[in-house]
Amino acid sequence: MTPLLEAREIRKAFDGDRVLDGVTLSLAPGEAVGLIGPNGSGKTTLIDILSGLTKPDAGTVGFEGREIGGLPMDARYRAGIARTFQVPSPYPALSVLEAVLVPMAAASQRGRRGGAGEEEEPALALLRRVGLFDQRCVPCARLSQGCLRRLELARALACRPRVLLLDEIFSALSASDEAELVALLATSNREDGTAFLLVSHNPPLLASTCGRILTLKGGRISRERAV
Amino acid sequence: MEKTTGAMAATAGILLFLPLAGLDSFLLDVMATGFLLSVFAGSWDIVGGVAGQVSLGHALFFGSATYACAVLTTLLRWPFPLAAAAAILLSSAAGAAVGVLSAPLKGPFVAVVTLALGEAAHEAALGHIFPGGAGGYAWGGEGGVPVTLPWETASPLSSYYAALAFLFAATWAMVLFRRSREGLILRAVAGSELAARASGVDAARHKRRAFAISAGLAGAAGVAYAAHMGRAAATDFSLELSFQAAAFAAVGGRGTVIGPVVAAVLLHTLLQGLAVPPGTRILFFAFTLLLFLRFFPGGIAGALAAARERGRRLPGRKRKPARARRAHP
Repeated sequence: MTPLLEAREIRKAFDGDRVLDGVTLSLAPGEAVGLIGPNGSGKTTLIDILSGLTKPDAGTVGFEGREIGGLPMDARYRAGIARTFQVPSPYPALSVLEAVLVPMAAASQRGRRGGAGEEEEPALALLRRVGLFDQRCVPCARLSQGCLRRLELARALACRPRVLLLDEIFSALSASDEAELVALLATSNREDGTAFLLVSHNPPLLASTCGRILTLKGGRISRERAV
Repeated sequence: MEKTTGAMAATAGILLFLPLAGLDSFLLDVMATGFLLSVFAGSWDIVGGVAGQVSLGHALFFGSATYACAVLTTLLRWPFPLAAAAAILLSSAAGAAVGVLSAPLKGPFVAVVTLALGEAAHEAALGHIFPGGAGGYAWGGEGGVPVTLPWETASPLSSYYAALAFLFAATWAMVLFRRSREGLILRAVAGSELAARASGVDAARHKRRAFAISAGLAGAAGVAYAAHMGRAAATDFSLELSFQAAAFAAVGGRGTVIGPVVAAVLLHTLLQGLAVPPGTRILFFAFTLLLFLRFFPGGIAGALAAARERGRRLPGRKRKPARARRAHP
């Protein structure tokens, strides 16, 4: 089967310091893959490269069988590769609902035209799903860390991506928040067939959510195990 | 939206009947000029506030339109409506070009580039002489170029009402733009370009568009101003004008559109009514800008919203349930 997302021989160095040294990985449609590794092992750099935020020094990234190395982050999102950030950077002045409407508005402007309020119903439904419906009118700047993570996930899910790249989305969350987000991811994976690559420092959590776990060490995938 | 409509209707009512209170022709003229400059301040807010791209050379777009209008009607003898349309298009094109230059830049670099371009245009307007005036008379330089209008003279009262109509039409259009999909996307880019890009927004493309739209609006204000003054002058490109728009926006509340427009009407009328000299005015604008950016970054609109929020959070105050349909407050 053709992999949905594929990275081949990715290399990246910052100021001569080699962070990724020939990373190769792939995600099948609907697959849940975990990525673990010590601090500084290049997990976030790999997510940045897969999402189009950073360009690799060498190597290729393919999506649905075509090379997407030249696509910037916004184009990859529209193509179906969404990501979350380790440190969410919300829109301080926008409300929670507006923040979720942004990706929908951007998608509407790019072809799927309709009435100005057309996106509001799906956005509200998404906020119900991530448990932010009651905070829909609250400015993003006033959200707690847990709510910011939920919003980050809602933003990523807004345009029904085929692949989710989740960079430590569960860090600094309470146990209940974590359980809810895990359930949400599992639902998205099961019902929408969304594949995800989940970066975490928590092996038990990865084991409970992913079908395969990759270990990134010394700039390479040093270990791969099925769960 | 209902609040905005109500406030605009109430303000329109007051301004409609204000001349009946016996304003003299000087004050009518000051207010008419203020209305036109308010539209310019609102146009600044589209790019500087809504899109978060602080332009310190916005007079470039205003002056391009006044000069285009003057040169086309007087030197090339174009009919005024055609010249006005061409002038607005020219401003918008200038905005698109500036947008191309500044879209890859961030923060202070946008301000520096726009400031440099605005000042270059100001110097060019001061130094350029247009030959071919009537009787061998040359136009340009500090004195500028006259605008040939299809009407002889307009009474202060008719100028006041024409400027007021323009103010309301332009403000309404700008408010609608801020609440549109494009407005939402620009506010997202202003808030966090990284998050916007990760949401599928081509930030550079939208910033270029914001410059083109904002410059087109500044051009419309410039055309109306040129028609009102009967002349395009080098000061139409001045740093004072750019600072003035930025200061009005900072005072009224950047990104709100209505705030800068209201602040522009009030402050312009106050400063002109008190006959504050130009040198003092530019100092006033610079200090006001610094003061508000440091202590009231949200301007008066932001301070009022914060006070309202504090009041709502006071112990014993019942919170109103949030309204479901307020997606674009």
